[in-house]
Amino acid sequence: MAFASVFVPNFMVQAVVRAEPALRESALALVEGKPPLCSVTAVNEKAAQMGIEIGMAKTNAARFAGLEIRPRSLSQEEIAHAVLLDIGWSVSPRMEDTAQDAIALDITGLSYLFGSEEDIGAHLLQCSSTCSLRPNVAIASNVDTALIAARGFAGITVIPSGQESKYLGELSVSVLSPSAETAETLSRWGVHTCAAFAGLPVLQLSERLGQEGVRLHVLARGASSRSLVIADLGHSFEEEMDLDDAVEELDPLSFLLGRLLDQLCARLAARSLAAAAVRVRFELQPAFENAFDIRKETFRSKNPSGLYEREIQLPIPARDSKMLLKLLRLRLQSNPPGAPIHKILLAADSARPRATQGGLFLPSFPDPEKLELTIARIANVVGEGNVGSPSLVDTHRPGEFQMRRFLTPLAAVETNCNQGGAHSGKQRADSKVATSFRAFRPPVPAKLELHAGRPTRVIFQGLRGEVLAAAGPWRTSGDWWREDPWQQDEWDLEIHFHSFSGHSDVSAKFHPECGLYRFYYDSLRGGWFVRGIYD
Amino acid sequence: MYVELHARSAFSFLEGASSPEELARVCAEHNMPAMALLDRDGVYGSPRFHLAARKLSIRAHIGAEITSVAGWRYPLLVESREGYQNLCRLITRMKLRAKKGEGSARPEEIAGMGGGLICLTGGEEGPLAHALAQGGIESALECIEQLCRAFGRQNVYVELQRHFHRDEEARNQAAVAIARKLKLPLLAANGVSHALPQQREVLDVFTCIRRHRTLATAGRLLSRNSERYFKGQTEMALLFSDLPAAIAGTEVLSSRLQFTLNDLGYKFPAYPVPDGGSQMQFLRQRTYEGMIGRYGSSDERARRQIDRELALIEKLDLSGYFLIVWDIVRFCREKNILVQGRGSAANSAVCYALGITAVDPVGMDLLFERFLSEERGEWPDIDLDLPSGDQRERAIQYVYERYGKLGAAMTANVITYRGRSAAREIGKALSFDTETLDRLAGLVGSWEYKDPGDTLARHFRDTGLDLQHPRVRKFFELCQAVQDLPRHLGQHSGGMVVCQGQLDSVVPLEPATMPGRVVVQWDKEDCADMGIVKVDLLGLGMMAVLEDSLQIIREQHGEEVDLGHLPANDPAVYAALQNADTVGMFQVESRAQMSCLPRLRPKCFYDIVVQVAIIRPGPIVGKMVHPYLKRRQGLETPEYFHPDLRPALERTLGVPLFQEQLLRMAMIAAGFTGGEAEELRRTMGFKRSEARMKEIEVKLRRGMHAKGITGEMQDKIVQSIASFALYGFPESHAASFALIAYASAYLKCHYLAAFTAAMLNNQPMGFYRPATLVKDAQRHGLKCKPIDLTRSDWKCTLETIPEGFAVRLGMSYVKGLRKEIALEIVRQREIRRFASIDDLKQRVPEMQKSELTALAETGALNFISSKRNSHRRDALWQVERAARRPGPLLETQENSENESAVILESPLQPMTAEERLVADFRGTGLTAGPHPMAYRRAELKRHGIRAAVELAKIPDGTRVRVAGAVIARQRPGTAKGFVFLSLEDETGIANAIITPQLFERDHTVVVHHPFLLIEGTLQNQDNVVSVKVERVLPLEISRAEMTSHDFH
Repeated sequence: MAFASVFVPNFMVQAVVRAEPALRESALALVEGKPPLCSVTAVNEKAAQMGIEIGMAKTNAARFAGLEIRPRSLSQEEIAHAVLLDIGWSVSPRMEDTAQDAIALDITGLSYLFGSEEDIGAHLLQCSSTCSLRPNVAIASNVDTALIAARGFAGITVIPSGQESKYLGELSVSVLSPSAETAETLSRWGVHTCAAFAGLPVLQLSERLGQEGVRLHVLARGASSRSLVIADLGHSFEEEMDLDDAVEELDPLSFLLGRLLDQLCARLAARSLAAAAVRVRFELQPAFENAFDIRKETFRSKNPSGLYEREIQLPIPARDSKMLLKLLRLRLQSNPPGAPIHKILLAADSARPRATQGGLFLPSFPDPEKLELTIARIANVVGEGNVGSPSLVDTHRPGEFQMRRFLTPLAAVETNCNQGGAHSGKQRADSKVATSFRAFRPPVPAKLELHAGRPTRVIFQGLRGEVLAAAGPWRTSGDWWREDPWQQDEWDLEIHFHSFSGHSDVSAKFHPECGLYRFYYDSLRGGWFVRGIYD
Repeated sequence: MYVELHARSAFSFLEGASSPEELARVCAEHNMPAMALLDRDGVYGSPRFHLAARKLSIRAHIGAEITSVAGWRYPLLVESREGYQNLCRLITRMKLRAKKGEGSARPEEIAGMGGGLICLTGGEEGPLAHALAQGGIESALECIEQLCRAFGRQNVYVELQRHFHRDEEARNQAAVAIARKLKLPLLAANGVSHALPQQREVLDVFTCIRRHRTLATAGRLLSRNSERYFKGQTEMALLFSDLPAAIAGTEVLSSRLQFTLNDLGYKFPAYPVPDGGSQMQFLRQRTYEGMIGRYGSSDERARRQIDRELALIEKLDLSGYFLIVWDIVRFCREKNILVQGRGSAANSAVCYALGITAVDPVGMDLLFERFLSEERGEWPDIDLDLPSGDQRERAIQYVYERYGKLGAAMTANVITYRGRSAAREIGKALSFDTETLDRLAGLVGSWEYKDPGDTLARHFRDTGLDLQHPRVRKFFELCQAVQDLPRHLGQHSGGMVVCQGQLDSVVPLEPATMPGRVVVQWDKEDCADMGIVKVDLLGLGMMAVLEDSLQIIREQHGEEVDLGHLPANDPAVYAALQNADTVGMFQVESRAQMSCLPRLRPKCFYDIVVQVAIIRPGPIVGKMVHPYLKRRQGLETPEYFHPDLRPALERTLGVPLFQEQLLRMAMIAAGFTGGEAEELRRTMGFKRSEARMKEIEVKLRRGMHAKGITGEMQDKIVQSIASFALYGFPESHAASFALIAYASAYLKCHYLAAFTAAMLNNQPMGFYRPATLVKDAQRHGLKCKPIDLTRSDWKCTLETIPEGFAVRLGMSYVKGLRKEIALEIVRQREIRRFASIDDLKQRVPEMQKSELTALAETGALNFISSKRNSHRRDALWQVERAARRPGPLLETQENSENESAVILESPLQPMTAEERLVADFRGTGLTAGPHPMAYRRAELKRHGIRAAVELAKIPDGTRVRVAGAVIARQRPGTAKGFVFLSLEDETGIANAIITPQLFERDHTVVVHHPFLLIEGTLQNQDNVVSVKVERVLPLEISRAEMTSHDFH
């Protein structure tokens, strides 16, 4: 039996360098943390030589001239990991996904295909190099020795059978990845190398470090004999398509999307899964960016340049590719990418498909899929963010509300069950309203005449009226720490209208003689508005 | 005329955004004749409000909002002294039965204590609003009727507040209807929570802090608008133009409120004199008895002074106060608790005769008037130093017992928002992430010295926060706005107030966090301002060291050392002082003291008094140190600013060093009376208000001008007074400290082992870390033995060795070892010797693995086995096994194998010297073995690096290289950005001076590296040796985690 291990040292740095090869020759530090406070999380050798240390504040690191600083990229790490798996798959299907930065392969019998063990190592290195990774490769008679050697030795290491302990002996015990507690004990014991650790009597070691001690002892001697844990197929479902000719029209794009969705749904079906969400990412042709209209600004602020990303959350998991395609088309119609697409990436978040049936005595709800399609159609017309259920916000700011996503009846029932029904009871209590108020959205600009600080006459929407009674001002202000504070004086005014101008939006038919209105003066905008009318 | 009768200050703790002083100021600006402060559940801010109002000639009405059991609050105003006493008792009662910061009044208590109080129906948190919300108008009527029954119909006012809220106006309409129905007067108020409209932002932030929310999530908990600011008469009259009676009602009610804090009714308790004699007679007897003991019977000068003092004490009727302090001192003596009066009390021969102080004011010709003067009309201040820890607690508990729980209490300490706390809490409210806040809080105020660019703005930039960003800008403004506003109430370290009868009728009492402690709602200065006498029972680490030393000497040497009768002018003590060999000695051990001692060369006790006083920020800022030293060395002729000042300054060669001299200078140069001079000292000393300080400076200059002292001379005198008042010592205080300094020096010189053990047992204290104390003692020939489980106690002890005594380090130094475990080890050890580590673990089963490991790693288990040459790793090997106890089934079998376990050798290599050092410092913070530098001496020597001890012999101006472990880093506020390092090696301590420029350049190296190599020019003048650093390099000596005592 022979096993190979591929280990990518300084994985975080390599993942970033892979995406930006120009950094390879520079001193590089990766930072992590919420801006404005970031600290160094990984460095390459050149940066370490400059004195950059892990944990150093970004502001301190930035003082070093010639240091390149990049944020740590989890997505690049994921891609790099996927690449690592690809490298492994390119040699052997019997692969263990040991860690983010390491894999192990069963290479028994592969000499017919690749040549000697050194050749296999070289092939792995070659593949890695093509994929812009620079790993260590080790080959040994057992999995763990290969893994440890790959962590400990640079380049290609082939350990002949029977010489495992000799090879591993010079390595630090840290390559055995002991638990923090054991690592501390070993440090206290002055046991720093695998050889020193392997020299300890195993029985007494088991009395002191338990099974972990015994396991590590076996590892340190290179005597492990475990089997590979063959890598799972993974739960990420992605389909990608590079296009030779960029697509500009929706119809050919739909055709391509349909094909990808079919594949994706077929894969999901094979695993008895469905899609809880579908994400689409287009890489756009940069040449056309400049021709973008104002919408692009919004779009650019959300996405890196040249990318178009959208996500469709599904109310219930589904794998009906036709329905998914309709949803995607609607979304693309309402918010088109605006530039030709040269790469498509489609990903699905998998989930278990809906297995339960609606209750026999429950009222019949619209089919969730159809409802979702309908909502998407409405959103297509009124715009995203303008569809859903309005709900109040805990603030003094008048008229403030937010739109919550519609819950399908089934999901709503589940949510209520999870909240134990308490929330719904509270809602019922709150819904007891004595006076109805009809809010104008947006508020209607108005002109007011004041006498001694109190309104006497009003003009709005072509209506002119005398104030019969006034209550106020009711003063509110707040959100002073935000960029959009407010400061308003509200008045409740009873108005008798006595004239009507033909320019009004309000039809004369509905024009009342009297009414109780709520006006407000916006001190920050310096104008009067009508907030609404009391029914 | 409108009077604001419902206002909260920041002393409502997070429910008000302005200080009482600011409210009073705004009130005066609006020409309002009076104002009432109603803080939540207390009268915390009332003394400050009272004093501020008195200055501004407005009347300060006192009151409080009292929380009811139902959660709403009674707004109560004090009409008479009876009312004030009722309010204080009510608050005390509800506070003492609840947890700290909580408490509510029961209806029956309100009913029983309503006398002299006026009740308002309140705003949105008042009883009326609550009743209306609960049961509408009917319920509200019933509620008001209840208030009328509790307080009397004539003492209930229906309060109306208008903040432009719909709900509030609806409430007001109901209130007006109720008032008309019940024929109660209406009262307009604004429910003020902040002085200025813009302070609403601070109030909102406080709301977030109080409710543990952020501004983004607080929602409707925040203010609806900014209308709760202090509004003037016109504004309020306009607001209530439809209800003029409500405005008029405020003036009527204000005129009814006759009580002010001038009428506190405080009396100091009388001392119970036996046999029916008077207190004065009893005091006279005790004083004369003491006088004979102190001075003998024939010292006429002392008798005259004592008679003079007694006459004044009698005249001011202070005999009870002296007897009470004497009683505490007597208790301490009886219980063998070391006690010594400090501060101005040492100016009094009566205090000396009574044994309260230990300094002879007659012999030292001290100024009695600094302590007590007829015209000042305030209580004298007697501070007692006690050994910190349990002994001081015994003295405090004695006072509680003697005067009852409601007769004595600790003074409060108002904790205010400072740079760090403000940044942290406001940042939280603004949803800044914790990491940013930690970093920012860490940056704020990290060094004592602030260079000109060391502003809050710079800290923000250093943290990566952009001040141009609106939210960051807001953060910055809020941080500044909350500075110095009260945050919560703490407990003063030692100030106690006592009262004749019931203290709770003078000021409300609250439970302190510490069990068994009660605190008053006012801080030390407020108590002094209100004329409440206090006794400070202060804990002093060195007193505990002295006490422990005496005990050890008694037990080990069999000698009784009387600190009151130490040999004067002991040559060893003065030799040590002159050579600056003072590590561990009280007050004279700091680097600055050490650099002064060889110049001042103390030869007598008074020199130590001067030495203690001279290295203080006052003389340093006032540039007094060098002139004094030069004049003392005869290099300069004494000058006295002005010939008239010569008598005041002659004894210190024309350099003002003591507060007494400052008083005399103000009296002579500016014609101040004694009282004015003391007021000057207190104003500048407490630094309570910049404005007040400016005021008094103007007065001082005016006085000097009148006396013909002008120009540069005037500036010099003002500067010396101003810089000095803040930090200076009274001469008597310096003398008291000098006594302790002398005692510590004496014990160190003659009983080094006992003194070192006592010092090590009372850490943390003093200037140096224990590691340095041990090394210093070792250099003085003391043998320090490592921690040994078979010999060490919890504390450090002495062991007899052929050369005398050695210090055995105690188990208290093992980090992570619990005291109860160590005591159990000692108990078990006394029953039977431990046979092995397994035996130890079995007999002390509560011991955790981490504790066993810590003991093994520090070598404490090396001697437990009978095997010779056992080393730490043997123990560590055994410990891992012993810590994994088998289940009950295998326990017997395990026991039978114990013996073999003892014999088994570990397969581990012994620790190297470096590993032992690392383990020592990691496990105990010190080493009894050689200094880390000693291991590398030969190598260092090869590189021309000098040992610390050599420097004294090298001529001034020589370029030298020195290396050592950094034991102290200082950047004193008085040193203009210079940094002082103390580098320790095995031979002693070398001092290094780093310029601001070098510090800026090599900041990281200077601040972070434990071992440094410095190069520079040696300054060796007057036996003061230091290196002016030109280059500083990190040095890899050891990985041992030696910590430096950095004075940030």
